[in-house]
Amino acid sequence: MFIKNTWYVACALTELNALGSQPLGRTICNERMVFFKGPDGQVAAVEDFCPHRGAPLSLGKVCEGKLVCGYHGLEMGCDGKTVHMPGQRVRGFPAIKSFPVVERYGFVWVWPGDAAKADVAQMPSFAFFDNPEWAYGGGLYHVKADYRLMIDNLMDLTHETYVHANSIGQPEIDETPSQTSVEGDQVVLQRHMQGIQAPPFWQMAMSANGLDPQAKVDRWQICRFSPPSHIMIDVGVALAGKGGFDAAPEHKAYSVVVDFITPETETSHWYHWGMARQFKPADAALTDKIREGQGKIFNEDMEMLQLQQANITQWPDRKLLMLNIDAGGVQSRRIIDRLLAQENPTGITA
Amino acid sequence: MSTSDLTQAPLADDGSFEVQLQKSGQTLQVSKDQSILKVLQDAGHDVPFSCSEGVCGTCLTRVVAGKPDHWDMYLTPEEQEKGDCIMVCCSRSQTARLVLDF
Repeated sequence: MFIKNTWYVACALTELNALGSQPLGRTICNERMVFFKGPDGQVAAVEDFCPHRGAPLSLGKVCEGKLVCGYHGLEMGCDGKTVHMPGQRVRGFPAIKSFPVVERYGFVWVWPGDAAKADVAQMPSFAFFDNPEWAYGGGLYHVKADYRLMIDNLMDLTHETYVHANSIGQPEIDETPSQTSVEGDQVVLQRHMQGIQAPPFWQMAMSANGLDPQAKVDRWQICRFSPPSHIMIDVGVALAGKGGFDAAPEHKAYSVVVDFITPETETSHWYHWGMARQFKPADAALTDKIREGQGKIFNEDMEMLQLQQANITQWPDRKLLMLNIDAGGVQSRRIIDRLLAQENPTGITA
Repeated sequence: MSTSDLTQAPLADDGSFEVQLQKSGQTLQVSKDQSILKVLQDAGHDVPFSCSEGVCGTCLTRVVAGKPDHWDMYLTPEEQEKGDCIMVCCSRSQTARLVLDF
């Protein structure tokens, strides 16, 4: 069961644009959807199910803003109503479901739940998108694991020492306790390390920002979960003793790890990851370099999570441990469970 | 009572009506819970049909006399008003008798 009356990132606009006249089929919260650009160029989402014979509309083509079924040429409109079909009168064709969509921050956001409740005012806002003082680069992974395993992963960064030993991991992470706090629907987990050597990824970022990569630094990780499943992580290093997270920009290399985690099924999700940074925002080559590095690092998480899911699927009754390092994930799941109960007041729980 | 009278007469209280087939002269009774299509099929007639819910237009049949009660989504409102065609899968009769070109 998923929180459905909310906005999820469905895809990057660039991903949809790259398909040209092909639509994009994507399952979100167990809803099979197809995304395409309507007559006015705006993105629309309807059920990936032709009302004629149940063929996936995502196998069709987009022609003049209509989604043409690849089986018998039924032409579907943005509102789920059939517009035309060769040799047929379509007035009585039953409509299929259409999903509210918003294009923002370079992404297509979709509301998989009750369309009547869709509310653009509930869209999260981010200062670093569409802002010339910031640069953003990111990518997409399809991860065959429960989306909550990704939340657990990102709300407990002690794994970096082991999973990402060659890039961002370092023993000081394990040795420095973290603090978890809950503020309304947000969970904040933070760890501040002092007077340490920067790990390879941050040495690269320091060099890029004109800092001596061998200098001792103060390093921070501030993970912020907000429902349904967005996690923004302030990460960075500042020259030791300059104030850490609050240090002046010239003393630090700092960025926000952006994680939009969109459930696909109970055991798979779409992971839109990225990094927004304030240093050298105009340096496109640096954006590419960071994206490449981050992509490699997050691929290590993906491997771990998929095999973790396989284990859990094989042993569904085995109880897992919740240790002190897991508090961020535990609190985040608690918020998800509360919102699920609110959305399904009849007492039905998965 | 003559045929022309029945195609002008109102429906029976129980919602049943009769369908007369122009070509064979056969008369069939359609009760409230039967469709014209079902009655025709039960009588052994081969009727073209597909959706059975008034969407596809396959069972379009010409009406010779009587007034159809349209339930389909295939005919336009103007065509329905004209009353010379019926989708026998779902539509019914407003008169005690319908004469079909069948």
